Amino acid sequence: MLRSALNRIFGMAIVMALVVTIVFVIVRVTPGDPAAVMLGPDATAADIASLRERLGLNASIPEQFISYVGGVLRGDFGQSIFLNMPVTDALWQRAEPTFFLTVFSLGIATLIALPVGVLSAYWRGSIFDQAATTLAMFAASIPSFWLGLIFMQFFAVKLGWFDTSGYGGPGASFGTRMHHLVLPAVTLGLISSALITRFTRASMLDVLNDDYVRTARSKGMSEWRVVVKHALKNALIPILTVVGLTAALLISGAIVTETVFGLPGVGSLIVSAVLRRDYPLIQGALLVVAGLYVLVNFIIDMLYLVVDPRVRY
Amino acid sequence: MKRIALAVATTAVALMSVNGLAYAQTKGGIIDVATIGEPPTLDPMASTADLVGIVTQHMFETLYTFDAKWGATPLLAAALPEISADGLTVTIPLRTGIKFHDDSVMTSADVVASLERWIKIATRGKQAAEVITAIAATDEATVTITLSKPYAPLLALLSLNNAAAIIIPAANAAQDPLTSFIGTGPYKLQERVPDQYIQLVRFDGYQSLGGEIDGYGGARKQYLDEIRFVPVPDPNTRIGAAMAGEYDYVDQLPVESMQQITDGATEPVVLAPFGWPVFMMNTKEGLNSDIRIRKAIQAALAPEDMMLAAFGSEDFFSIDAAWYPDSFSWHSEVGTEAYKPLGDTEAAKALLAEAGYDGSKPLRILTSRQYEFHYKMALVAQAYLEAAGFKVQMDVVEWATLTTNRADPALWDIYITHSPFLPEPSLMGIMSDTSPGWWATDAKHAAVEAFNAESDPAKRAELFVEVQKVIYDEVPGFKVGNFNALAAQNPALDGVTPAPWPYFWNAYLTE
Repeated sequence: MLRSALNRIFGMAIVMALVVTIVFVIVRVTPGDPAAVMLGPDATAADIASLRERLGLNASIPEQFISYVGGVLRGDFGQSIFLNMPVTDALWQRAEPTFFLTVFSLGIATLIALPVGVLSAYWRGSIFDQAATTLAMFAASIPSFWLGLIFMQFFAVKLGWFDTSGYGGPGASFGTRMHHLVLPAVTLGLISSALITRFTRASMLDVLNDDYVRTARSKGMSEWRVVVKHALKNALIPILTVVGLTAALLISGAIVTETVFGLPGVGSLIVSAVLRRDYPLIQGALLVVAGLYVLVNFIIDMLYLVVDPRVRY
Repeated sequence: MKRIALAVATTAVALMSVNGLAYAQTKGGIIDVATIGEPPTLDPMASTADLVGIVTQHMFETLYTFDAKWGATPLLAAALPEISADGLTVTIPLRTGIKFHDDSVMTSADVVASLERWIKIATRGKQAAEVITAIAATDEATVTITLSKPYAPLLALLSLNNAAAIIIPAANAAQDPLTSFIGTGPYKLQERVPDQYIQLVRFDGYQSLGGEIDGYGGARKQYLDEIRFVPVPDPNTRIGAAMAGEYDYVDQLPVESMQQITDGATEPVVLAPFGWPVFMMNTKEGLNSDIRIRKAIQAALAPEDMMLAAFGSEDFFSIDAAWYPDSFSWHSEVGTEAYKPLGDTEAAKALLAEAGYDGSKPLRILTSRQYEFHYKMALVAQAYLEAAGFKVQMDVVEWATLTTNRADPALWDIYITHSPFLPEPSLMGIMSDTSPGWWATDAKHAAVEAFNAESDPAKRAELFVEVQKVIYDEVPGFKVGNFNALAAQNPALDGVTPAPWPYFWNAYLTE
């Protein structure tokens, strides 16, 4: 177990080093200039050049890279050009909405997907199964921004139950802030549930036909115990993978939903950083997101070891 | 239906501004204003972006500002400047007893330090710096600016709210970037949470100029307790927010949402006309360095179809060859004959043949979908240009890339931009030799210098006609038309005058 973990951690370090390098290069070779964005549409070339100098963007790319990597190794991700604060502070400020959005949407997604997927597999070919499969296909094909706008139109504009966007004004209570997360969480949860449902169904179908399930049944065990205790437990590995990947995707990938609902989370921070070419912030945010991805994968790998003792890395 | 709605909205707005003051104005209340995004900075000297000006004009003030007719009027200055007979000495009397948000009192030393910061870091200040030789405090309440040559645009530059000549305490003038947001404005910064809100609260030490309200000038009343600017970057979300009545003011809505806004909980506010879209020509390098090609483009383009594609309905644009609409003193139709609303393909073909264009080199149009109307205009332009015999290459990039690429003359022949009607023509990019397009000819210099040297407003209007003539003769840019802007407003919010840079002093809630 320990050796497996160490192997995995070594792999993670290599991935992170690659991420740092690739992100740095991509960000620098993309056209666009933070100085031009900051100075506005009527700025002259000379103004832009002098601001670039002040922001340290005129140093050579290798020089900038070395100083950046040095900083990252010391835990210093640099200073956001536009927000005028350390990148880590900016990310920390945006962590709350993204964290709760991830938790809620993942909660909604699994609460829907697990029972529906299991029952679909159990009643394979039934009307329930067909309806669930069709709906899942439908949900997986809906773009999140569109579903978000439809929900916004109905529940916020028409019924007035929720605010269309934002995260509450100055001094908004925790309850108010969470209230702002309901529509985006339902949007993301429904869409994510589609994939998990399909994986759950497929994985359950595999195991329901296995010998040990038949054995369990022939022992006279109740159907409930057969399905949940024996079949589902063994079907869990692929499901865990997809749930984990969905979680990682939600942490970084609520980008569209966060933008539509005007949530000040990590996703919308990345979008605005890219549009403004806030280099340190893009680099820092992508690094953290990649780190979380790697971490989630690590956790899933470790969970495999727990769920299935035969697994070795 | 749209037309009726528009008429109702426009009338409502007109009534609001005329009769608005007849209602009881109550002090108090908080308004939420949905903006198009987070401003890149809160230092109005450091940026020319409209959004920066919209937010910060509540916190910071300039020596002068614009009245309802876009003339300069005093704000922190006590009167319009005295200009010496040779036009080289500008003496500005200051109001006394004006307090900053930190309760210190504004003196001529603060003004000198601020103006020096302005000519050092602000884009428009640097423009003025070319003719400013000295800024000095004559006494506690007078500042003198010495010029190397007469420069009429100075007053407008000192009045504008972006790349603005704001007055801040001398102690903060060395900050770059600015970190203490201390101004003299009617509202002061309470808290800024980036991408969430900018909270401004009433500044109790504010001294309003008094007198009648006159555009950005005159009295500035502080009815509201708080103004909160909330970034709502997605335009569809802004439409939803306006329909739900969640904000008291929603800025910059797509004009095609007019019907939805009319049916929703807020009222539409139409600012007509708001500004012009323009095709800038690269006069320095490539195809468009040949004036004959530029004239062929001018003949080929059909502004009526381009504007219709971009704005959907004639309710939201007008076809106007003059660079300024008739609500401005700069308006004139003289010299604009080359502007053909439906284009003149045959004339364009003839001009192209004369230029010896063989279709081997594409005409590169640099544009972005950040503003969908730019892109739609470009598509129609492409069809008309091809009909005239051009080979057209569309370079569609995102906005940050466009702002970088347009600075490189090797990369484009036309780029598309837009602007609100600027109160002073010398603020237009086309007037500067260094702005992308790099238009610098003897005819331009003669017309622009005469315009800049004259200080009499009536004579300046006549001299601008000459500038406009040269623009049509040499085609450094093609002004497509006039377009309107749409915003939405809570019916209970009163006292807001439609403006290119909306402001909320003088605004109040009626419920």
